[in-house]
Amino acid sequence: MTGAVRIDRIDKRYDSEGGDVLALQAIEATIGEGEFVCLLGPSGCGKSTLLRIIAGLIPASGGRVLIGSQPVQGCGPDRAFVFQDYALFPWMTVQDNVGFGLAARGVPFEEQRRRALELLRVVGLAQFAEKFPHHLSGGMKQRVSIARALAVEPQILLMDEPFGALDAQTRSVMQEELLRIWARFRKTVIFVTHSISEALLLADTVLLMTARPGRIKSVLRVELPRPRDEGEPRMIELRRRLLAELSEEIARSMQQENEDASLA
Amino acid sequence: MSAIPRPAAAPARPALLRWLTHRDTLLSTGFILAFLLVWQAVYSAELMPRWAFPSPARTFASLFEMILDGSLAKNVGASFSRQVTGIVLAALAGVPLGIYLGMSPYFRGATLPFFRMLYPVPGLAWVPLAILWFGVGFTSTVFVIFISGIWPIMFNTMAGVQTLSGQYTDVAKVYMAPRWLYVRRILVPGSLPFIITGLRLTYGVGWRVIIGAEMISSIVGIGFLIDDARWQLRPDIMIAGMITIAIIGLVTENWLFDFIERRTLDKWGMKASGT
Repeated sequence: MTGAVRIDRIDKRYDSEGGDVLALQAIEATIGEGEFVCLLGPSGCGKSTLLRIIAGLIPASGGRVLIGSQPVQGCGPDRAFVFQDYALFPWMTVQDNVGFGLAARGVPFEEQRRRALELLRVVGLAQFAEKFPHHLSGGMKQRVSIARALAVEPQILLMDEPFGALDAQTRSVMQEELLRIWARFRKTVIFVTHSISEALLLADTVLLMTARPGRIKSVLRVELPRPRDEGEPRMIELRRRLLAELSEEIARSMQQENEDASLA
Repeated sequence: MSAIPRPAAAPARPALLRWLTHRDTLLSTGFILAFLLVWQAVYSAELMPRWAFPSPARTFASLFEMILDGSLAKNVGASFSRQVTGIVLAALAGVPLGIYLGMSPYFRGATLPFFRMLYPVPGLAWVPLAILWFGVGFTSTVFVIFISGIWPIMFNTMAGVQTLSGQYTDVAKVYMAPRWLYVRRILVPGSLPFIITGLRLTYGVGWRVIIGAEMISSIVGIGFLIDDARWQLRPDIMIAGMITIAIIGLVTENWLFDFIERRTLDKWGMKASGT
């Protein structure tokens, strides 16, 4: 298994009442093994849709995604997904939640529990193994969700605005956590966000997307050592560049929303 | 939200005391006492003929006589075992059918209109047919409970499956969970708020039809007890039977389902929802 991803002219069309909506258009990207990539774009640009296509949760309308040399056809053991609102099962203990992917793979029960506990240790939640998710805070839930994804030893970690629902403080702790985990496991990470700071703190490469239909507007290599400081001159410069480009797209996307609203 | 487990329940005595002195408890107890007073007044004023309208005292005396001579236990036992059998069968059939209805658009399209036609047929309408098929007694009563009770549990389970968050299904897909694991560990527990609501309704329906069914198709049971009292001109026994039904229904329904909810939904923080 390999963690290299090639996105080859992906289109996504949705049927809607007013005719077809083009959500993604001719998306091209190459992501290296072990690379940390952020998909950045205005809301509604289709970045989550693209992530779900890579995951195999939804099919593309055109083009293909290659993992190594294998085209994606549905979900696969090489990819795991972290959802924005955690998607933990309230009826399972934290440990059983983490072990779910292993259970799905038919790993023996004792082995499931052992590996789940091991990963809970990695994310610092071993003492909560027997608790149910509703006892945990948002940040802790997301750590459980990350542990669940890591448990199946994927090559690629797909993360859909995983820290979007967290408060600023927790978010920044979680970003550090994630970098620490990433440094340890060196998985390919594709991380969807609408926050420029988040993208700059985390990513090797930022793929900036346009407003609908989503296309890749620019590719930015951050090439700075971690941990990064937002006050660094180079970071400020990158930030200014991204902000300028993103603002155009946000303006366009808001204009689209107004048009959509007046049509309705 | 906090990671700290909730404190253990307060000691029993103060809780009981608090309950006894709670405003709603006082109000509802007061209302029941007022009702008994009106009942007594109607009796004393002979607004109704005495042969058809017993005093509260006579009614409760009969209730205790039946408790002491064991006839109440015998009839309650008969009704209760039919109720439990009928409900368990309704759940054993209704939950899997409901899950399948929720999962398969084809099965739903084919069978749902038919089920919707059967649903409004009152349970008691099945009694004569049940007697023809199964004779007088246990089986026919259980059948009537089953056929009236299966609908709420089935329709609620279906609704539970249909309203289950699509995200849980996405998780199952991402980790490529086999179908049986998906059903057992996601669909069933995820639909549990609805399943429990359905069971509550089914339990209530069973308890309501059983009395009518027993009046016609049985020679033991609370329904029989009430109906039989007609031939002896014993309205006190009829009312004592009704009080028994009310108390057993209330207590078992609350205890049983509150117990199930405490062990599941409360523990998981999934309270709410259901229809």
